[in-house]
Amino acid sequence: MAALEINGLSKAFGGVIALGGVDLSIPDDRITGIVGPNGSGKTTLFNVITGVYPPTGGSITWHGEDISGRAPHQIARKGLVRTFQQAMSFPGLSVKENIQIALERGSRQLRGQAPRWHTPEDLLDFVGLGGRGGDDAGSMPFGNLRRLGVAVALAANPVLLLLDEPAAGLSDGEANMLADLIMKLPEMGIGVCLIDHHMTFMTALCQRLIVLDFGTKIADGTTQSVLTDPKVMEVYLGGEL
Amino acid sequence: MTMEFLNLKVPMALGGAHGKAPAGSTEGAGNRGRRIEQIALAVALIAIVAALPSLNIGYRFLSIAITTGYTAIALYGLGLQFGQAGIMSVGHAAMLGVGAYTAAMLSNHLGVGFWAALPASIVFAAIAGGLVGLPSLRVSGQHYIIITFCCCALLVICLTNGGKLTGAATGLDVGSIPRVFGINFDKLFNYYYLVLAALVITLGLVYAIVNSSYGRTLRSIRENEQLARAIGINVDLHKIGVFMASGAFAGLAGILQVYYLRHISPTLYGAFPSLYLALMVMLGGGRLIYGPLIGAIIVNFLPEVMDLNPVDSRIAYGVALLVVILLLPGGVSSGLLAIYRWICGRLFGRVSKAGS
Amino acid sequence: MEILIQQLVNSLSVASVTILIGMGITLIFGLAGIVNFAHGEFLMIGGIATWFFVGMGLNFFVALLLAMVVVGALGFVAERCLFRFTLDRPMNGFIMSIGLSVILQHVVVRVFDEFQKSTPDPLGAVWVVGDVHIIAMRAVVVVITAIVVAITYFGITRSRYGLALRASVADQATAELMGIPVRRYVTGVFVYGSILAGLGGALMIGLFPITPFVGSVVITRGFVVSLMGGLGNVNGAVLAGLVLGLVDGLSAGYGYPEWTDAYSLVLMIVILVVRPQGLLGGTLGPKAS
Repeated sequence: MAALEINGLSKAFGGVIALGGVDLSIPDDRITGIVGPNGSGKTTLFNVITGVYPPTGGSITWHGEDISGRAPHQIARKGLVRTFQQAMSFPGLSVKENIQIALERGSRQLRGQAPRWHTPEDLLDFVGLGGRGGDDAGSMPFGNLRRLGVAVALAANPVLLLLDEPAAGLSDGEANMLADLIMKLPEMGIGVCLIDHHMTFMTALCQRLIVLDFGTKIADGTTQSVLTDPKVMEVYLGGEL
Repeated sequence: MTMEFLNLKVPMALGGAHGKAPAGSTEGAGNRGRRIEQIALAVALIAIVAALPSLNIGYRFLSIAITTGYTAIALYGLGLQFGQAGIMSVGHAAMLGVGAYTAAMLSNHLGVGFWAALPASIVFAAIAGGLVGLPSLRVSGQHYIIITFCCCALLVICLTNGGKLTGAATGLDVGSIPRVFGINFDKLFNYYYLVLAALVITLGLVYAIVNSSYGRTLRSIRENEQLARAIGINVDLHKIGVFMASGAFAGLAGILQVYYLRHISPTLYGAFPSLYLALMVMLGGGRLIYGPLIGAIIVNFLPEVMDLNPVDSRIAYGVALLVVILLLPGGVSSGLLAIYRWICGRLFGRVSKAGS
Repeated sequence: MEILIQQLVNSLSVASVTILIGMGITLIFGLAGIVNFAHGEFLMIGGIATWFFVGMGLNFFVALLLAMVVVGALGFVAERCLFRFTLDRPMNGFIMSIGLSVILQHVVVRVFDEFQKSTPDPLGAVWVVGDVHIIAMRAVVVVITAIVVAITYFGITRSRYGLALRASVADQATAELMGIPVRRYVTGVFVYGSILAGLGGALMIGLFPITPFVGSVVITRGFVVSLMGGLGNVNGAVLAGLVLGLVDGLSAGYGYPEWTDAYSLVLMIVILVVRPQGLLGGTLGPKAS
């Protein structure tokens, strides 16, 4: 059984069905990718998992414990930490203070491990923002902001890190640098689950891909098998594949 | 000019009360030099203020100073709530009212004096603060501000219709504060020192809160509530917490006010006093440690210094508020800080650059 | 029966002023995204200006039109010089409007005085229909309000201007791309709402005396009406104004009159918490915050 088990998860907004009974199992020791066209329910899936919205039906089990309907901060404290596409940092504060807030939070969520990063500077060095601690988070260039977002989430000491379109808006060079960073996480004991539709980015990073379309899972398997799946080809028909 | 002097950032590009302006001197972990400098500044200020009565400044000045003192205490609460957690209230006088009426009612109906009523005033105002804060868990921005206004108006209606219990529209009287170690608080000098002591305690507490991890947590809620939740911060709990802290300071201010005025009535805690509290905190600046104090000093002493009548001085406050919001959203304190920083940058620019 | 009809007309005339102020707030808050706390003072200035012009010997209805122009101009200046700069930070705009309300009150006190002012009954007539005696001015207030409501309603729902306006509330960026001058529309809505406040003030002083501090009372009612009706929703504001008028009348007659204001305040808090877009559906204001 994988760390995160999702069974028959559904979410409807009024009459609009964003997720229609999704079954997923996401391990916390490797990188799992979720792809799908716009409106396929990827972000909704993250929002429901992390408690931003309560699910309409189905269950979410994290290490054997049912977490569906819990508040976002409770879920985060159990080691499921996410990033956002837009709201990446605390804009009015310094970069250092951004990290400090999350580290202070993360140190309370250690679960018996030694902290991975002792000071904000350690973590900033790790994500490649060394020496930027005094900058105002709100006025950083976009690429740095993305990395700051990842750093803030890492500081909160995740077991499974959920990245919401981390490569959106990045140049190829910046995306590659971010991919290198993400690649290091599983060996540090941090599982990663990311959603994106940047296919080259995803195929380079993920051993396993899950494809969503119209709120349902249409493919799930190794990256190679998914890429040759006729159903997936149909969804992406002449698109990014 | 160096931006790193004192490890502070100058709010040069002031974006707004909720803007992206770097937050300033109270924020961030300071280095030792900065801390020593701040403590020295605080001690110097306290010494000057404590020495004032011996300079034979007159009762009028002293009574304005007392008003300024307890107003500033209430403003520090509002400053925590607005400057740190980013939630404004235009009904804050109601919290003062809860503190003041708690003390006055205890005195009138149960014969409880100042010292025993003091903790009660603080606790009741903190509870009131928490209650008024509850809607903020669901409602934000302008909608929530309207709620604070309504709560304040409701309290005034309740006080006015409270019959004997609240003294209705005429209000309540209280006696004098019992002597402690032979100190007679009926003397204006002694009352001045009492308020000063309360203000210094308030300042110390607020400084500690702002520079603690709790202060950072509040700022994270101000800047990005969604992200704060996602890294495990219990946003709702901390919001209620800051409202209660804010209410507690207002309660302290309230009891100091009632024992100074000796008589209170509902109009002291209505819409206008609330608006003036919001105005003072905006004017002084909610984010910097001396902001609320500067706001209180400007608003209380301006009419005296410039010899304005009440009508003209209110027009002046209003105009000042517009000017501050449009040109200096961090308040007068952030402007002063920028000037101070500029001077320091000119004088020690190279030294501090090498140091940082 | 006669008394009931008389009371009905009286309540309707009071409700009319409430509707006018509520409609102005609902448009400015719901469509322009500005919470103007000084809106009550705009109404007060409308009343005081009418009193001033009548005092100069003008006919009441000429004075009313001039007061509308004065308040409209005031709204234009306020939007261009103040609120324009806080559109992306509505909180700052809100706090600024508090400053503006303090200024306007005390400027009026300074120029005139703080005592209440009244005009003689503009029509000075009482219509007798059967056994019912109706003060003519009250009926005229109701009729004027009805006409203004109708014009506003059709302007918002039927005209091209109204359509473009609602489009810019729904999605400002797209509306701008479609060539809708959103900024100018914000100014337009603000000025129109201000003119309604001016009219409300003028009609109010035709009915009762007012003081320079009437604004803070009026603004609370205006918020209640606009939130009950749904922000940006004109017929909602009308309905809510009528309901509030009735509740006031009933509680004054049969309930506890000293708690009248408390009812509306509690109602407002509950609505804001449960349905921030208003009871009858509306916008949450443009997506600026």
